[in-house]
Amino acid sequence: MNALGLLLPELILLVGALLVFLLDVAYDTDRESGASYGLVSGLFLVVAFLAAFFQMSLEPQQAFMMDIDAFAAFIKMTVFAGMALVALAGGRYMNRRTYNQGEFWTFFLIVSLAMSILAGANNLVLIYITIELLSITSYMLAAFFRDELRSAEAGMKYFLYGSVASAVMLYGLSFIYGAVGSLDLREVAGFFVQPDLTEELRVAMIPATLLALAGFAFKASLAPFYQWAPDTYEGSPTPVTTYLSTASKAAAFAVMARFFVVGLSALDVEWVPILAGLSILTMTMGNLAALRQNNVKRLLAYSSVAHAGYILMGLVAVAANAASGMDGLNGVLLYLFAYLFTNVGAFVSLMAVEETTGSVEMEAFQGLIHRAPWLAGMFTLFLLSLAGIPATGGFLGKFFVFGAAVQHQYYWLVAIALVNAGIAAFYYLRIIRTMYFGSQEDAGSRLELPLGMQATLLICTLATLWIGLYPPQVLDWVNTASQQILTAVLF
Amino acid sequence: MVPLNWYLTVAALLFALGLYGALARRNAIAVLMGIELMLNAANLNLVAFWRYGEQVMALTGQVFAILIIALAAAEAAVGLALIIAVYRDRRTVDVEELDLLQG
Amino acid sequence: MPTLPVPTFTQVVFVLIAAFTVISGLGVVVARNLFHSALLLAATFFGVAGLYVMLEAEFLAVTQILIYVGAVATLITFAIMLTRGAMHGETNPLNRQWGKAALFAFLFLVGLLGYLGGIPWPAPFQAIQADEGLIARLGEQLVTRYMVSLEVMGLLLMVALVGAILLARDDKP
Repeated sequence: MNALGLLLPELILLVGALLVFLLDVAYDTDRESGASYGLVSGLFLVVAFLAAFFQMSLEPQQAFMMDIDAFAAFIKMTVFAGMALVALAGGRYMNRRTYNQGEFWTFFLIVSLAMSILAGANNLVLIYITIELLSITSYMLAAFFRDELRSAEAGMKYFLYGSVASAVMLYGLSFIYGAVGSLDLREVAGFFVQPDLTEELRVAMIPATLLALAGFAFKASLAPFYQWAPDTYEGSPTPVTTYLSTASKAAAFAVMARFFVVGLSALDVEWVPILAGLSILTMTMGNLAALRQNNVKRLLAYSSVAHAGYILMGLVAVAANAASGMDGLNGVLLYLFAYLFTNVGAFVSLMAVEETTGSVEMEAFQGLIHRAPWLAGMFTLFLLSLAGIPATGGFLGKFFVFGAAVQHQYYWLVAIALVNAGIAAFYYLRIIRTMYFGSQEDAGSRLELPLGMQATLLICTLATLWIGLYPPQVLDWVNTASQQILTAVLF
Repeated sequence: MVPLNWYLTVAALLFALGLYGALARRNAIAVLMGIELMLNAANLNLVAFWRYGEQVMALTGQVFAILIIALAAAEAAVGLALIIAVYRDRRTVDVEELDLLQG
Repeated sequence: MPTLPVPTFTQVVFVLIAAFTVISGLGVVVARNLFHSALLLAATFFGVAGLYVMLEAEFLAVTQILIYVGAVATLITFAIMLTRGAMHGETNPLNRQWGKAALFAFLFLVGLLGYLGGIPWPAPFQAIQADEGLIARLGEQLVTRYMVSLEVMGLLLMVALVGAILLARDDKP
């Protein structure tokens, strides 16, 4: 049973999820048990992270419709790191607000498991079913505070938008199956290189792919399917928002990249105008909406939509020419990695303010520097990294993504993205200004942060600076990851 | 014998009806019914393509269709639970009255 | 003068089932009364099951009836009864954007039919021998090639079960 060993990260998470679930059933739980469940979940995530780290150095191979390669391993590391940080910072937040702690931690590990499978899945059947596992569990986590009107509404909206998008995606997949006769990504790719492929069938794949793209675009909150994102992000429990906007997005982009690189690279169609159009639309809509927000949680939600647009720029370069798409893919991975730590940090800072003041409006951040200097300082770093200021991880991500677009000579795309980055910097600076220049009188008392949050903030800060100042190790991982997935391409 | 395109046409009609239902109805339960129609249409496509396709014995279409049927049941259960959770707090299942989160 | 092709018996049966399915489907989305919608939805599920039988996917047809009609339609009926106070008496079943939605769905359909008509799908249609044991093979595929998909499905059903109870139950512990 050597093949099962290749599923080690997934198996670890499965055991963890079932363990928490059974413990919750077996013992009369009280409000205190949430902490131990959180601890168990965190431990299993860390072990799974180590397993994924070990997979980085394996030869690329396949097992059970999954590719075990450095690309998948890198995405798994990203996802597990994000989920572990969310557990560390948000565990107390969740445990204090819900009675159903056992269920929460079970779902939390199952969501991680789903993202882990998505990182490697190379068959559209498995991809679709796993996206549904991720989505349906996320609907319930979004609505987890079911007695809070906003949380229930967030879950319901997420569900309605998500189900329609996934039905559209399934309909598109059925046409791909019709043309190819298989849903294995490599067989799909092989279908396009056969010599007697008729022109009609080749063209038939374009609408089918666009329908399928709707599902991916929904998960990654790309225009025109991003409307759910701000509502869901605002209404959901903040730890849930944190993972939805980071880890879940990384998994969605991983699937999309694999779909385009492995499955469709041989389909000779100009994807660039479509993807570039989506990218521009996504970043512009996200940024313009973020400008007029006064609720910081909603502002970060819109900014996370805009970031999806930047990441898509990297995929544009991949779609333009898979053979030379290396730099684009590098950009996507690096961006996802840096963005994860930065955005988790930003949302945890928000969570800290929410925990201590009970509000996420802009006013709650007035004079934060006087009440919690460390928190304000770190939040500033995260915002600067989101804005893409040099010496932060966010800068490096943007640098690579923009660089990939420049290399393929999409100067117009880069120009629009730069304007967008300028707009974004404006609203990030607005938060920073509020934190530093709020009047001192209504600043209130000092904020005491729980230990878990302090630790998370510190890790995120160090990671953001590490990626920004000394990136060789990360670049090395990213390079291996892109190289291994690009070897799967047929020409 | 019935041509493949006839099946695909029926599926297309069902899908369009479901899409209309999902986008145009006010009651969240009616929206859910539209989504179920769309899933059925996609399933019909899968089974038709399986039967007419080259690799009948690979059964991909049928396997996928069975998984989708199970998935639709799970989705319906979760969707209706969410609808009931919202109804309990707000006494409404009208998607237009879900307006706490906007802007 | 060209003669119209005489439809075969199978084609007549197909047209009848298809018409039944589509008309019930239309009823689902236009009915003003939600109960009628739910009943028509069950009818549509039956129609689709009939089409599965015509496609020689009998096992799937049975599954369709057991799960869709037996579980999903029943579940929807229960939900309608549980939320009955919500939309009684009234009112327009359509939301403000129904006109746009209708136009969009119609254009989508026209585009789709044009798309379907223009594509020569590879459709060799091989006859299935009675002794090929399709159902046994289906089961075998599910536990070998599609094993992880099946496991993920099982996990999804567990999560849905737990979550649905959690969200819908009334008491607070």
